[in-house]
Amino acid sequence: MKVLVTGAAGFLGTAVVERLLDHGYTDIRCNVRRGGSIPMLGALASRYADARIEYCIGNLKYQDDANRAVDGVQLIFHLAAGKSGAAADLFMDSVVASRNLLDAVGGQKPMRIVLISSFGVYGIAELGRGARVTEQTALEQHPEWRDHYSHSKLRQEQLFWEYQRRNGFELVVLRPGVIYGPGGGHFSNRIGLTIGKWQLNLGGGNLLPLTYVENCAEAVVVAGTHERAAGQVYNVHDDSLPTCREYLRAYKKYVAKVQSISVPYSGLRMLARMLTKYHKYSKGQLPAIFTPYKVATTWGGNHFDNSKLRSIGWRQLVSTDDGLRRSFAAFRAELKSNKTASVAADLTVTTNRKQASEVPTHSIDRQFQERI
Amino acid sequence: MTLNIGIVGCGKIADGHIEEIQKFSCARVVAVCDLEPILAEQLARRYSVPNWYTDFDLMLFKHRLDVIHIATPPHSHLVLARKSAEAGCHVFLEKPLALTAEDGRRLIECFKKAHRKMTINYWYKFEGPSLSLSDFVAKGQLGDPVHFDSFCGYDLAGGFGRAVLADGRHWVHRLPGKLFQNVIDHAIYKITPFLPEEPLEIVARGYRRRPLDDNDTDEVLDELRVMMFCGGVSAYMTFCSHARPVAHFMRAHGTKNTVHLDYTFRTMSIEEKQTVPSGLGRLLPPFKSSWQGLRQATHNAREFAGSHSHYFEGLNRLLSLFYQSILDDTPVPIPYSEILRVSEIIDEISAQVYPAVLA
Repeated sequence: MKVLVTGAAGFLGTAVVERLLDHGYTDIRCNVRRGGSIPMLGALASRYADARIEYCIGNLKYQDDANRAVDGVQLIFHLAAGKSGAAADLFMDSVVASRNLLDAVGGQKPMRIVLISSFGVYGIAELGRGARVTEQTALEQHPEWRDHYSHSKLRQEQLFWEYQRRNGFELVVLRPGVIYGPGGGHFSNRIGLTIGKWQLNLGGGNLLPLTYVENCAEAVVVAGTHERAAGQVYNVHDDSLPTCREYLRAYKKYVAKVQSISVPYSGLRMLARMLTKYHKYSKGQLPAIFTPYKVATTWGGNHFDNSKLRSIGWRQLVSTDDGLRRSFAAFRAELKSNKTASVAADLTVTTNRKQASEVPTHSIDRQFQERI
Repeated sequence: MTLNIGIVGCGKIADGHIEEIQKFSCARVVAVCDLEPILAEQLARRYSVPNWYTDFDLMLFKHRLDVIHIATPPHSHLVLARKSAEAGCHVFLEKPLALTAEDGRRLIECFKKAHRKMTINYWYKFEGPSLSLSDFVAKGQLGDPVHFDSFCGYDLAGGFGRAVLADGRHWVHRLPGKLFQNVIDHAIYKITPFLPEEPLEIVARGYRRRPLDDNDTDEVLDELRVMMFCGGVSAYMTFCSHARPVAHFMRAHGTKNTVHLDYTFRTMSIEEKQTVPSGLGRLLPPFKSSWQGLRQATHNAREFAGSHSHYFEGLNRLLSLFYQSILDDTPVPIPYSEILRVSEIIDEISAQVYPAVLA
């Protein structure tokens, strides 16, 4: 069976390809954008000599690229999505790309599509603080009040269900929490916001719904290939989760010193109300990055339930302690190499300046003229 | 009277248009339109616009629109503008004007013929520093213009830059002047109103500074230098995507004074003169500069306190003038001749920088 992984060169995508190979899938088409990190996938392929890994370079926002990507496949893991940028960019990269993929699939059968959605699609603002969020929890009713990422992910998921009803393919949806690991982000916005050199700790004692990239990829493959998973949704996060405060404390201890300020939930609500009022009064002079609604959805301290995922046989491959240890070691090395690169750049600039000062002025002029 | 507004093109810049329009009591957005339904739908939902369309003709047919904001790529400007004018709508157009100056001329003719108004989003010219400079020149404090230096920094690692470089099929690659054509209108229009109405000599050189790799499109040049000479006045325009910090400024040199306009911080400062001799002459001017800086900071603090420090303050001012010109039937805020002059300069720059493309 030929398997397509979209966004295969991404942080989670590479891990999913690896887990698929480990689970015995040997015919994999990797859809990557131009400039995607193919070397990482190449290294992976060299470890599985009997596997046939095919690269399909293309951007799913173009229908012909989507058509090429799905040609001859029976199982699709759709991971490609916009992560940041303006709303239009996110909708283009997540929703339009998905629509093209679904149009390309059409009524092909057999076909199973595994969609990587997000916790951001849940309508949790109305649930109250600390409420348990299961796969049965209602979807967001006011996505326009949320961040653009959550809005685009909700629309993306809705689109998949609409097409599933129309075309009848098998659909499995996974909603991961905070995917972390070497090469990933250091701080989720569930912990707080980074402003300059300061970290606002807004999550406090909330459980941080982490999922180590390898564990998440395992969940994607287990659920995506499980015979009873068609039409199901699964929350994805690891067990033994730290709180946001514990994560930040460990980060400071093992990675780098970070200046942080803790803002209690009540203070954050008050700040959000003030900022919203000011935003309205000043007609948007400062962005409403906090609103009471956004605060309730992101820092309300909800507990996400992953028991449904465990019930189909998913097990955490890397313990949370081990995952954090590996991530922190990688983050530390990353910061160190950035610092070294920065020093090296400074040295290069100094050397160039020195060289430049030794070149006669008329020569610089001539070089400049030749160059332009 | 309330102006009914329609927006065509629901990409990133449409957010800026709609946010500014919604600040006016004399205007309301009644419909948005994009060929891509998902983009039209998301914009309508986020800004509570009651109607969205994928068919421009249908939007024109269904609503009695007074003004159309065209925020699509320039390839469609002429067609959409013509349809809008024929439907009796005024148009606020996103820059650049059109693919070529010739298309731009045809576009403007449509509005003259239909007795409708059109203006273009040259919003930097309506920012505080630009208005201060116009006032300074009008009062004769600059003296006769001698030289202008317009510097436009750009970040290729920003959202738009990344999208263009990573996607060989991005519409920017189909512009005769590619990335430059989409960006340099502002830098040019800051200069042209101060140049005499005489033939302009242009020398333009573009080059690629970023290293070659697989991530981007090799045809896109990323650095541009332009020299202009016109009736004893010279100007230098820089588009620079590598210098940091990303700066955005202009210097205007006159026979009486030289001023520096910083568009990032919205300040205008007058270059100090050495009014006393020897060591004292070097001691005092920095203090006078600091005093100017303090006055600028106070001014900006007042602007902030009065909620006049929005990112699109210039766009808001331009829209206000444009809508007022429609309501009062007075001249448009930017003369058509000036819009065309910018377009002709861009044509010439594109021809010199990308001769093969135009040939």
